Amino acid sequence: MKEGLYRKIGYFCTFTPKELIHAAGFTPIRLLADNTPINRANAYIQNYCCSQVKGCLEKMLNGDLELDGAVFTRSCDSLMRLTDIWELNSNIPVYDLEFPTNIGDKSKGYFLNELLDFKKWLESLNGDEKITFDNLKDSIMLYYDLDKKLDRLYSLNPEYNLAIKALTSNPAIALDEIEKRLNHLNNQSMNEIEKNIDKKKAKILVTGSICPSTDIYEIIQDSGFSIVDDFCTGTRFFKSDAILPEINNMDDAMNFLIQKYFLKAPCPTKHYDNDRRFAYILEKAKDVDGVIFLLVKFCEPHFFDYPQLRKKIEEIGKKTLLLEFELPITSFDQIKLRINAFSEMF
Amino acid sequence: MIKKLETNKKMGELLQEYYIRGLFEDYRAWITSGGPVEFLYSMGVYPVYPENHAALIGAAKEGVNYASISEGDGYSQDLCSYVRCDIGAIISGNSPVGGLPVPSFLVSANNICNTVVKWYEILSRTYDVPLFLLDIPFIRKEMKENYIDYVESQMYDLIKFISTITGRDFDEDEFYKTAVLSIKGIKSYEEVLRMGAHKPSPLTCFDAFINMAPIVCLRGTEAPINFYEGMKAELDERVKNGIGAVDNEEVRLLWDNIPIWYGLRWLADFFAEHNACLVADTYTNAWTFFGDLDLNNPIRGMAQAYSPIYLNIGIERMAEVVNKLIDIYDIDGVVMHSNRSCKPYSFSQYELQKMLDVPSVIIDADQTDYRVFSQAQIETRLEAFLEMLR
Repeated sequence: MKEGLYRKIGYFCTFTPKELIHAAGFTPIRLLADNTPINRANAYIQNYCCSQVKGCLEKMLNGDLELDGAVFTRSCDSLMRLTDIWELNSNIPVYDLEFPTNIGDKSKGYFLNELLDFKKWLESLNGDEKITFDNLKDSIMLYYDLDKKLDRLYSLNPEYNLAIKALTSNPAIALDEIEKRLNHLNNQSMNEIEKNIDKKKAKILVTGSICPSTDIYEIIQDSGFSIVDDFCTGTRFFKSDAILPEINNMDDAMNFLIQKYFLKAPCPTKHYDNDRRFAYILEKAKDVDGVIFLLVKFCEPHFFDYPQLRKKIEEIGKKTLLLEFELPITSFDQIKLRINAFSEMF
Repeated sequence: MIKKLETNKKMGELLQEYYIRGLFEDYRAWITSGGPVEFLYSMGVYPVYPENHAALIGAAKEGVNYASISEGDGYSQDLCSYVRCDIGAIISGNSPVGGLPVPSFLVSANNICNTVVKWYEILSRTYDVPLFLLDIPFIRKEMKENYIDYVESQMYDLIKFISTITGRDFDEDEFYKTAVLSIKGIKSYEEVLRMGAHKPSPLTCFDAFINMAPIVCLRGTEAPINFYEGMKAELDERVKNGIGAVDNEEVRLLWDNIPIWYGLRWLADFFAEHNACLVADTYTNAWTFFGDLDLNNPIRGMAQAYSPIYLNIGIERMAEVVNKLIDIYDIDGVVMHSNRSCKPYSFSQYELQKMLDVPSVIIDADQTDYRVFSQAQIETRLEAFLEMLR
């Protein structure tokens, strides 16, 4: 392990090119609100801001985050304003990466320039040491491997804590653990694995922005569901349709990063041609029995999509449930009750 | 008591004319308030402003009625109430002005918020019409050339988009003329707003709010130029005769954020009774940003003018803008509307308070949803603030 990887850069959006951060010698850490009660943050941002933003701000204000930098990738209005609030109230260097909202060929050139600027900032943070092609290629390969193996693991037997580990800690260590799990599963015969999958269980798509608590997954599973997820803290972290080409130089590497993040599983903070996100969710919904919208209160991008998306899902004959939560989660019993009631419908 | 301007009547007539015209146009585009409307006008497309329509619903105190309809359809009460009001109007097929005419296409610019991206996607699905998203990077600190290049290239895409739908060619001369009219309109609007620098001020921000529709909806035509020249003449007359908008103006205030449309009358009366005058605001002043248009290269100029507008800049830059207004208008204090509907506007306020040259107070409300407006609480808070300023 490189000594530098003990240094951490926090980021807020799954569309942040982690490979560049890693290649510059930092561990990219996805910042997530947790069980920290929100208290001080209320003096910095209004109470109608989502608890993911407030919870992370609280941790920063409490001095709980030892970071060498924080990256705010363009996604929603709350994060856009948090960038300045963060910079004005901490010594952590801040960078706002203007990821295009419009995802398409026409924004690729613009995004390349943004990536080059981001690279320069990372280098300046690392004492002007340049990100070498070899380092970037290694980081790209590492994350590609991590993504593919997580994908494989999720298709066999999802372990939600492992995805969260992959996005909040050193990716090489997470990869090691994921490989061990995969080896373990490979040693079991397919019959044994299939035996463990209870075919009678109703299959549920759970969609939303973040779900940092694996307890919720357990509640859903305990109610008799098997889960397919669509979260930044799950599938959206590792799923991209980009295929790894031969990478021979820096241009290839940067172009692959653009491809990878443009072809990532779609997010409601981005705008796609042909309504790609709705098409993607509807495609996923085809193979399940029902959909749970598990949304963080005040999360505008998801709540705006919800009414029309719900209708389209119900039109193809699937049942839906909307569950709203705030972090820290204090209402597990309520969530359990609603999921149990929902499971009665199957 | 508040003194009404004669201009208000003309505004009503102008707006009525504008709304009626929409019914007879071949092509209608729904556009966001921060969108470059000049392209539409120069290509003969009639612009429709859902934001303005929602404000109108709010001012008619119908906000909750329409918002509830969209909430019944699944839209969360935590979402922007402009969206909830307009969607409610679409579902019910009605509004105080009979609803908005069906769009031929949509133009959304995310320089005012990311909400409008989602809002216009909903509209695009609802009406099954094409949407052009003008993607404008957030100018937190410096305005990079890369940003301007990106926005400029989309301006050309927008032209093609409009041209394909309407079958009309883009005429550079026509566009230039529209841009000139746009700048003239903005300058004439700016002159009206600057009248607030007089002591006593001949207008309040409530007059500015009520009369802002022409600069939003008709920017790029002759109408706002003539309208604001008329308004300025009326204000000049007040200045000449030493008439203030508020009797015995003792305290001069600046308003921050979108107006509380249903509470305009109450707030105007409240401040007048307390000899306090809201002589200016950050909201209407935001439109003066569009005036920095370079006519030597108007398309790139559009990209440069529409990018660093008030809601699309970082908090430090916002503070510079507000402190400049404080200076121009000789402001004693700032009244900040913490607006549940507008996160990019409101989430900067706690930090802004620390950076301003004068004291400020925050009142919690919403632009159109009066369920979150607590009159008694606001009254107490404002009274204490005014007391402190004296």
